[in-house]
Amino acid sequence: MSPQSRAAEAPIVVASKIDTEGSLLGELIAAVIERTGAPVERRIGLGPTNIVRAALLSGQVDIYPEYTGNGALFFHREADPAWKDATKGYDLVAALDKQQNDLAWLTPAPADNTWVIAIRKDLKGFPPRPCVGDLAAYLKNGGRFRLAASAEFVESSAALPAFESAYGFHLSGDQLLTLSGGNTAATLRAAAEQISGVNAAMAYGTDGAIAALGLAALCDDKHAQVVYAPAPVIRASVLDQHPVIGPALDRVFATLTREKLQALNARIAVDGEDARSVAEDYLKTAQVQP
Amino acid sequence: MNVAARALPTGATSIPRNIVLPLLVAAAVIGVVGCGFVGLAPNRLVSGRPVMLWNAAGAGFIAVLTACAATLLAVGFAAPRRALAYFAAAVAGTAIIIVIAAAGDAAAILSVGAPPAARISLGAGFWIVLSCAGLALIDALQRSDAAAVSRLIVAAVVAGAFVALARAGMFDALSLAREYTTRREVFAAAVLRHVVLVAASVGPALLIGVPLGLAALRRQRFEAPLFAVLNLLQTVPSIALFGLLIVPLSALTKAMPALAELGIGGVGPTPAIIALVLYALLPIARNTLAGIGGVSPAAIDAARGMGMTGRQVFWQVEVPLALPVLIAGLRIVTVQAIGLAVVAALIGAGGLGSFVFDGLGQYATDLVLLGALPAIFLALAVDFLLRLLAAALSRRYAA
Repeated sequence: MSPQSRAAEAPIVVASKIDTEGSLLGELIAAVIERTGAPVERRIGLGPTNIVRAALLSGQVDIYPEYTGNGALFFHREADPAWKDATKGYDLVAALDKQQNDLAWLTPAPADNTWVIAIRKDLKGFPPRPCVGDLAAYLKNGGRFRLAASAEFVESSAALPAFESAYGFHLSGDQLLTLSGGNTAATLRAAAEQISGVNAAMAYGTDGAIAALGLAALCDDKHAQVVYAPAPVIRASVLDQHPVIGPALDRVFATLTREKLQALNARIAVDGEDARSVAEDYLKTAQVQP
Repeated sequence: MNVAARALPTGATSIPRNIVLPLLVAAAVIGVVGCGFVGLAPNRLVSGRPVMLWNAAGAGFIAVLTACAATLLAVGFAAPRRALAYFAAAVAGTAIIIVIAAAGDAAAILSVGAPPAARISLGAGFWIVLSCAGLALIDALQRSDAAAVSRLIVAAVVAGAFVALARAGMFDALSLAREYTTRREVFAAAVLRHVVLVAASVGPALLIGVPLGLAALRRQRFEAPLFAVLNLLQTVPSIALFGLLIVPLSALTKAMPALAELGIGGVGPTPAIIALVLYALLPIARNTLAGIGGVSPAAIDAARGMGMTGRQVFWQVEVPLALPVLIAGLRIVTVQAIGLAVVAALIGAGGLGSFVFDGLGQYATDLVLLGALPAIFLALAVDFLLRLLAAALSRRYAA
C-alpha cells in the first residue's frame, strides 16, 4: 500500500487540550470535518498544552485548536511586541510554524482568550462597561479591592505587571490572593462567593462563567495583554490531502466572537452540557454552513 | 461488671457488648444533626446551601433510617450471637440502600420549582451516614465470621438494589446523576479503558517483577542495587514519569513507523502502561522476596528429605506457602495502579481520570466524583476479591 492511499483512508485525528474551551473548539473542528465527508478520530481532552503540541509535532495528532499568543512560548519570543496585536501575532506564529514545523494555522476566531480582570458587578464607582483604566481610578480613590489570581498571573511580566505599567496602578500584597494553579473556575468562584474578602478575579476573556457568576470583565483598551485568538492548527500535509477542510473551518471560526464563545463555554461549564452536543447544536441552530 | 455480664449470658446489659455499633450510630446522628444532607446550589459552579435531612427527604425514609439506627444500637447492647450478627448485617445493608435512596428522594423534592441550572449535590451529612452504615456492615460481617460466599452475596444484593433504584430513576435529580447522564455514551468506555490500563500493566509487571524478586533472593549481591533502582522509580512523581516517557516514545515511533501502526505512540495508553508497570515493580519484587524468602527452612529441608527436586520444592512448597504474601503484593499493585491510572488522563490515556480533570478544570465537584467514585469502587472490589482469593488459597493449603 502506498503512503498516499493509506493516508487518504486514515481518519483525521482531531485533538484538544484538557479544558472547557479546548473541548468545545475540538468538537467543533471534528464536527465540521465530518460534514466535509472526511473520517475523523477524536482525541478531545488529550492533555495540557505541551502534551497536545508535542503530539501534533510528532504527527500523532493532525489538528487541534491553539491560541496565537502561545507562539511566544513555542518559539521563545516572549519579548516580541507582535503578540499584543491580533493580526501581527497571527501572521508571526503562522509563518514560524509553516517554516519550521510544516504546520498551517487556519483563520482565527475574532475573539481573545487573554487574561482579564473580572470584578463583581456590585462594586461601586464603575461605569456600565468598565475598563482597567476605571480600576486604576477606583484604586486611586481608595476603593477596597482584592484580586484572586494565579501565581503566574501575578509574577509573569506579560500579565499583571503589564496591566499595572500600562494603566498606572499597583496592587499591594494584601490586595492579592494568590493561588498556585491557573484554574479560573477557582478564582471566579472566590470572587462570586467573596471568599477571604475577594471581589475580583483573574479570568480568561472567553470564560463562560464570568457573566453567570455576576462578574464583569474589565476591557483592555490600551492593549496591555498578549492576544490569544483561537485557531485550528493543522499539519500541512493533511490539509493538502483534504483541501476543503480549510475554507469550511474558516467559515465557522469567523462566527466565533467573544460573546458567542462565552455563551457556548457557559453551556458546558455552568449548565454542565456535553461539549460535543453543544458543538453540534451550534452548527445546526446558528445556521453556520461549514 | 464482668461478673454481671457472666451472670446474664443471654440478656441485655447496661454496657455495650459491641462498642463499635453504638459509636457508629452516634457518629451518624451527629453527622445528620450537624451537617447538611444535601446541598442546593443555583448553578453548577457555586457552592450549595446545606439542606438538613428532615427538610429534604420524605418522612418514610427518615423513619426507616431511624429504625435502622435504633436497631443497630440495640444490637450493640445484646449478647453476641452469630445469628444476631447476620441480622445486624442485614440492617446495616438496608441502611446503606435507604440513605442513598433518601438522597435521591431529597434531590427530587428540592428540584421541584428550582431553575433548570440549579444543582443538588450530596452533603457531608450524607457521606457521614453512608460511611457509618458501611462500617457497621463490615463490622457485622466480621463478627458473623461469614464465609466468603455470603460476603459476596451481601455485596451483590446491595449493588443490585442500587442499580435497580438507579434504573427506576431514583437518583435522576442529583447533580452527580446529571453529570453521568450528559456523559452516558462515554462513561462505560472510560471505565473499560481504565480497567484495560490496569490489567495491561499488572500482567507485564508480574512477569518482570516476580523474576526480579527471585533473582534478588538467589543472588544476594543483586538485592541492594535492584531495590535502590526500584525505590528510586517509586519516588518519581507520577505526572513527571508520564511526561518523561513521551519524548523517547515519540522518537521511537518516528524511527519505527510500524509501531505507530500498532497504536503505540508517545501520547496515549503506551506511556501510561509503561509508567504503571514501573511503579508496580517495587511492591511485586519486594513481596516476592519477602514471601519466598519467608518460607521456613524447616519446610524446605523436609521437602528435600522427601526427595523433592529443586523445581518441585519451588512449585509445591515455596510458592504455596508464600502465596498469601504474593497475593498481598498483587493487591497493593492493582489498587495502586487503579489510582495512578487516573493521572494518566493527562497524557491522553483516557479512563476515569478524564472526568476528574474535566471536573477540576470546571470546578465541578460532581464531575470529579463521577470519575473518582468508580475508581474507588474498582479499587475496593479488587481488594475484596483478592482478599477472598488469598483466604481461600491459604485455607486450601492449610487443609
